[in-house]
Amino acid sequence: MSAAIELKGICKNFGSVAANKNIDLSVGKGEILALLGENGSGKTTLMNMLSGIYMPDSGSIFMDGKEVKINSPESAGKLGIGMVHQHFKLVERFTALDNIRIGMGKEAGTIFKKDTTRKEVLDTAAKFGFNIDPDKYVYNMPVSEKQTLEILKVLCYGAKIIILDEPTAVLTVQEVERLFDVLRKMKSEGHSVVIITHKLNEVMDISDRVAVLRHGEYVGSVETKKTSEKELTELMVGRKIDLNITRPIVEKTHPLLEIRDLTVKNDEGAIAVDGMNFYIRGGEMLGVAGIAGSGQKELCEAIAGLRPIEKGQMIHEGESIVGMPPKKILEHGISMSFIPEDRLGMGLAPSLSITDNMILKNYNEAKGIFVDRKSARQEAQKTIDKLEIVTPSTETPVRRLSGGNVQKVLLGREIKAGPNVLITAYPVRGLDINSSYMIYDILNEQKKKGVGILFVGEDLDVMLALCDKIMVMCHGKLQGVVNSGHTTKEDIGLMMTGALNIVNKEGKTDGIAKDSAIEEKKEEGHV
Amino acid sequence: MSDFHLVRRADFSIRRLIICYAVGILISLGIGALLLSGLGINPFEYYKRMLTMGLIGNRYAYKCIEGLLKIFVPLLITSLALGLAFKMRFWNIGGEGEFLIGSICAAIVAFNSGSMPKIVTITLMCLAASLSAGIIGLAVAALKVRFNTNETLMTLMLNYIMLYLIRYLGSTKAPWNFFLNPESERPIFGQFADNCKMGGIKIGNFTLLYSVIAAIIITVIIYVYLKYTKQGYEISVVGDSSATAKYAGMKVGKIVLRTMFISAALIGLASGLATATAGTISESITNNAGWTGIIVAWLAKLSVPAIFVTTLLISVLQYGCQAAATQYPAIDSNFADLLQGIILFSVLAADFVATFKIARKGGQEK
Repeated sequence: MSAAIELKGICKNFGSVAANKNIDLSVGKGEILALLGENGSGKTTLMNMLSGIYMPDSGSIFMDGKEVKINSPESAGKLGIGMVHQHFKLVERFTALDNIRIGMGKEAGTIFKKDTTRKEVLDTAAKFGFNIDPDKYVYNMPVSEKQTLEILKVLCYGAKIIILDEPTAVLTVQEVERLFDVLRKMKSEGHSVVIITHKLNEVMDISDRVAVLRHGEYVGSVETKKTSEKELTELMVGRKIDLNITRPIVEKTHPLLEIRDLTVKNDEGAIAVDGMNFYIRGGEMLGVAGIAGSGQKELCEAIAGLRPIEKGQMIHEGESIVGMPPKKILEHGISMSFIPEDRLGMGLAPSLSITDNMILKNYNEAKGIFVDRKSARQEAQKTIDKLEIVTPSTETPVRRLSGGNVQKVLLGREIKAGPNVLITAYPVRGLDINSSYMIYDILNEQKKKGVGILFVGEDLDVMLALCDKIMVMCHGKLQGVVNSGHTTKEDIGLMMTGALNIVNKEGKTDGIAKDSAIEEKKEEGHV
Repeated sequence: MSDFHLVRRADFSIRRLIICYAVGILISLGIGALLLSGLGINPFEYYKRMLTMGLIGNRYAYKCIEGLLKIFVPLLITSLALGLAFKMRFWNIGGEGEFLIGSICAAIVAFNSGSMPKIVTITLMCLAASLSAGIIGLAVAALKVRFNTNETLMTLMLNYIMLYLIRYLGSTKAPWNFFLNPESERPIFGQFADNCKMGGIKIGNFTLLYSVIAAIIITVIIYVYLKYTKQGYEISVVGDSSATAKYAGMKVGKIVLRTMFISAALIGLASGLATATAGTISESITNNAGWTGIIVAWLAKLSVPAIFVTTLLISVLQYGCQAAATQYPAIDSNFADLLQGIILFSVLAADFVATFKIARKGGQEK
């Protein structure tokens, strides 16, 4: 199969962060390539370079054997590369037809050509099996229809290479099937398709070949027919690095935080957390595994009081925290730290100093109208010493610190508040090995103090070594809770993709923690 | 096809900043010199007069200082107030409108004050001005918090509403219109009674107006407010990352409302002081403080001491340009405005060059 597009030695850095390191990748004509990788592994960056949003720092792109320069979305369009973004780029107040016409350039965009364009659009739609009303306004369309329109738009502009960034994230199962039918039609027309997705079952279903990225590097590609979900998970998560993470055994106390039947919606209004049940006990670290976007963020935000819940109960030490403002929940002893993908967006004020960030949650406790910076500075210095934060001074803006130190500041502040439930999401995101271990040690120390920890993580090896139990989520649903001492990465991988569900399956499989069958244990567990 | 793009400079160097500013100002003065030479004026003479504000060899030098302070005080308070809102990333560009409504309300008090003592009338005037402007600011903030309206558009449009309101008052002869001078045939604004005019401390011939003292006290208060109080801390957190502020349990909406009220009320206060100093109202009472204040706040990078210094420099520039222009028959105050514009523009350009660099697209960035 000849290559439609070939990338050679592509590098892209953002500041000191290498998003893509020396990537070689090719897509054949009439091939569906799935691009797989964890969050932050550089998939979207790579595709943005193909579609002209970013320029590579070095490396070259070849199309049909000739080197091309893609320095704007227009030039990508001219070369026949079209991208369907995760967030749709449509004009809500325009009809479907007008949305296609505005991107067509001067000639086809004029009103005189409207009928010709309409015909072209309808022909293209018929060819690929789209069902679309060209006069419908975008604001009247459900999500799946908007996506159809986006794809149709790209096809109408003559794209031969179509990139889809997590197209299935917003679709139902049936809609996904329909989308895949369209993709197969495109393939038979000789188009090349690159699809970014986290869902392994879909990868197995639709793709011809799978390319895997990890930490910005190209790991390799495998033919879909010759691989399995298991192998892909391994490729994606990375081979086992043999490093000993200690897991101190602490006597577990009573459940501190109990979540019952919790349902939460995401920003788009879709169900993100679907009827989850679990609890965290003191002196226990409960890992949360799941493919990115399975509802982890919404779960954390719901517990911290930052996101309203649809239904369910959240009980902290016998008292319901549903509907409490974030401040109240904090005072109750639940502390949440979430490291988002940009690492600074939530939890820290990047332009403010370490001192100012230290007091973010308790500046109000000081008496009078003034902020107590004197003791804040001492606290900051204490945290800097204790966690070995590398910084010129306590007054350095957090933005100037390196990633590991930023995360230590955040975690240091959360611990300083003396919580009894610590929720931490991706605390080692983007950190090197040493800084990561430092963070694990900090968490272990908290555990020894009898704090209940909810650890939302990415790296399964780490979670298996560090957490006492691992709870697996898939599409917002609980797939089960396993004892990390008695389970395998493969099982967790299967649960992450939804292939295995052990909730309420008692004792049949090795490694099921009793907590999986929480219903039976409720009376006993809830004191 | 543009092969170049802008990259923010990673490092910050005060030396580069000063060099950029100096070069920028020199270029603008050079352009000004060309224009002046074209008009047959010796540019060196002109610039000398401008920088000394006509102080040297002037028997009425104290008048110059008084004139300078009349420009300085409202601009200082307005710039501080705008800086307060900008620090929270609330784009209050309605300084002009807030100033004008404040002025109108101060005049309402002044024209109806009867024979109350000076301290009472002036206080009432400032209070009326602050409150009216504050309420306008609060309304814009409330719409922003409640419906997420665009505060830039809202405040901008209010500028014009207020401008036309004061024009209407100034040109409508009617029995109800107490703003106008009753003795004049043509509609012109009346003068305030003496008990509504700003007083001051006499130092020889020079009068130090109380408004100057008020402005300096306000500067100190705002400095302390932003740097040391909880509310000031909240403003910086909300401005830096409102997601973080929410996460920390702050009531972001309340903070926005409060800060915008203070910002607009301060502009109102500036207006009250300026109106009492002028002893009358007019549509040019603002002296463009609402616009210039935006430039001052940004040039000073929102730092209070820097705003103080920048305001002083810009006031000298404004007053000096005017003072120099009056000496030459060939030019008038419009030339002063032109020169001022050129200088401000080049300073902004210098700031830009100091912050960004132009890099080749796709090239190695280091």
